[in-house]
Amino acid sequence: MRRIRWAPALVIATLLIGACQPAATPGGAQKPAKLTIAAVQGNEDAALKAVAPLYEQKTGIKIEIVEFPYDQLYEKLVTTFKANSATYDLVMMDDPWMPKFGTDESLQPLDSSYGFKRDSDIPDVVYDVGTWPPPRGAVPPAAKGKAAHLIGITIVGNVEMFMYRSDKGAAPKTWDEVKANADKNKAANFYGYLVRGKATNPVVADFLPILWSFGGDVFDQNWNVTIDNAASLKAVKFLVQDLKAAAQPGPESTDAADRDRLMAIGQGYQSTVWPGEITSVIQNSSVSQVVGKVAYIPMPAGPSGKGVGMMGNWLLGVPKASPNGQAAADFITWLTSTDTQKTYVDNGGIPARKSLLNDAALNTKNPYFSALAKSLDAVPNWRPRTDQWNAVETILGTNLNAALAGTATPEAAVQKAADAIRTLMKGAGY
Amino acid sequence: MPNVTQARPAPLNRAGAGRFTRQERLAYTMLVPILGSIFLIVTYPFVLAVIQSLQATNGGAFVGLQNYVTGLENPLLYEALGATGVYAALVLPTEILLGLGLALAVHRTIKSTALRALFFGMAIVPLVIPPIAVGVIARLMYAPSYGAINHILMLTGITHDEINWLGQPITAMPAVASVDVWQWTPFVYLVLFSGFLTVPRDEIEAAQVDGASGWSQFWRIELYYLRPLLILVAFFRLADVLRVFDHVFILTGGGPGNTTQLLSLYLYRVEFKFSDYGQAAALAVVVLIAISVVYSLVTRVLPLERR
Repeated sequence: MRRIRWAPALVIATLLIGACQPAATPGGAQKPAKLTIAAVQGNEDAALKAVAPLYEQKTGIKIEIVEFPYDQLYEKLVTTFKANSATYDLVMMDDPWMPKFGTDESLQPLDSSYGFKRDSDIPDVVYDVGTWPPPRGAVPPAAKGKAAHLIGITIVGNVEMFMYRSDKGAAPKTWDEVKANADKNKAANFYGYLVRGKATNPVVADFLPILWSFGGDVFDQNWNVTIDNAASLKAVKFLVQDLKAAAQPGPESTDAADRDRLMAIGQGYQSTVWPGEITSVIQNSSVSQVVGKVAYIPMPAGPSGKGVGMMGNWLLGVPKASPNGQAAADFITWLTSTDTQKTYVDNGGIPARKSLLNDAALNTKNPYFSALAKSLDAVPNWRPRTDQWNAVETILGTNLNAALAGTATPEAAVQKAADAIRTLMKGAGY
Repeated sequence: MPNVTQARPAPLNRAGAGRFTRQERLAYTMLVPILGSIFLIVTYPFVLAVIQSLQATNGGAFVGLQNYVTGLENPLLYEALGATGVYAALVLPTEILLGLGLALAVHRTIKSTALRALFFGMAIVPLVIPPIAVGVIARLMYAPSYGAINHILMLTGITHDEINWLGQPITAMPAVASVDVWQWTPFVYLVLFSGFLTVPRDEIEAAQVDGASGWSQFWRIELYYLRPLLILVAFFRLADVLRVFDHVFILTGGGPGNTTQLLSLYLYRVEFKFSDYGQAAALAVVVLIAISVVYSLVTRVLPLERR
């Protein structure tokens, strides 16, 4: 019982000792012993892991990288931000997640808090994608009228491009030529076009550049759903009928890894491609039989007269709850500097700096760099900047997948998707 | 008459009426870590889920049962329930019958301790492989063009054309279910094999003396002793079927269309893709209540205790 009587005194003493600890200064000006980064597991964070020890050598601040697979990273960030937990000082984010985190005000503004400014060596679109509310295009109702801030800095300059077997044919300039080449080159165990058609995110990622190049879109500038208009329907039919006719068996269950495998073993003629797939598989001589036989170009043009690539940048941001904001911002500055980016590229990193993307020597080692530079110059589209995008993508991707599998007609799939997206957006206040 | 003094029990160490004895205090103290853990791991999250299910996703205002109504009105929920039912109907009988058959075969035919240990070790292997890895391997096996399954089927002349296992509604669900069967039949085998070892030897020997056939011994004696384990295994597997996620996500992502969008995948999408935390919590509470009801019905209707 005596011990129990001591308990309140112990609790009070503990609280007092805790209260006497030095509080973190606003903005986290104190130099921390380490910075913790939540990162995506895969080739996107490989170069980050490679250069991080250099920062510790330079500053004495240890960089701890906690990796998660793609979907788990998103879940982890959502729950961490919701709990306002200070677990991570920096977080790696795919650009379609920015509207969600921007709307929820989960990240610290890098421009007003830490003085980040645009660098002329980096295309504006790369900064725009990390800015919230978006500086162009449709703005969600909840974000209208708010001051725009930079909340994420690109560290993986992903843009979706196009690849084709340059040893078998010329570069297609239009999607009509893509279709013609697909039909011409299709043979036994050799597929004219590799469709990435697995349900939800994969099929949408493959489809959006086609949709935009055909003059269609998911929304107009006022968030009206346009996925069921004539141009959009034409794009859907082009994917699920024309391209599928020359595609590999089972396109509706094909993801990026399956596409890469088919391309690498010499069974595919052409497809869309992300830089990460190029570095890890297509140009990797230890697994690929087609090194030197594949060329990379920006997206071919559609009936709209333009080819539109899609951004898939990975960005670094500082969570609102991080007590080490200044140190985290310093790390971003160091990582995106020209000198560090050279080392980053040597370790397989995908830069966004024009000087590196257009460097002749680097282009020899990375044959997609010039196509990536051109894709950025052409100003690729980003996925619609709405915090509802994950839901929209799920609806659209499920219905596109059904059309691809033949369980729904293109018209029915598009109508079902449009109706569901309209209901969703109305419920979300759009 | 002698004055008999009855021995009285030692007085309890009570400090006063209504206070606990030292032994009782000790007992409760020893229970605190267990009860605390249960509270933290089970009760606290459940209470949070119930609270979340009664709040609006944006702002957290109290909305009563609105999330339950919205969730239960969504036709996609019933598509997911239907898919889960089909999955369970494929998986549960197959795993239980295969596991039972395997356990019976090993029990009856293999007497060597070393061989039984080998079977035990082999049965453990699928259970310790992460479901994600199983999904990736299965995806490679089912892939058109280079997948091992189509290759073997064509090599042996069973089929002449490639089967698009994961892309057609009619084959996608069996393909996804087969992965579950591969991974979890060994679990059923291990549990039921242990059950066979507990069947009293004298009863089997008595039946043999009376001339009972092998089938009669199984049907009338062994199955009787296995019944509680069979119910337990069936319930465990049913609970797992409601939670199955990883390999389905890897293999089909719920496609084609919504064909393989099981309940867990649907809940995941409501929570993380639609960011509708209130509805996701409401559905999770409904699932928890439903499975509790099923469990109490199972335990009341089917006797778990041997009588």
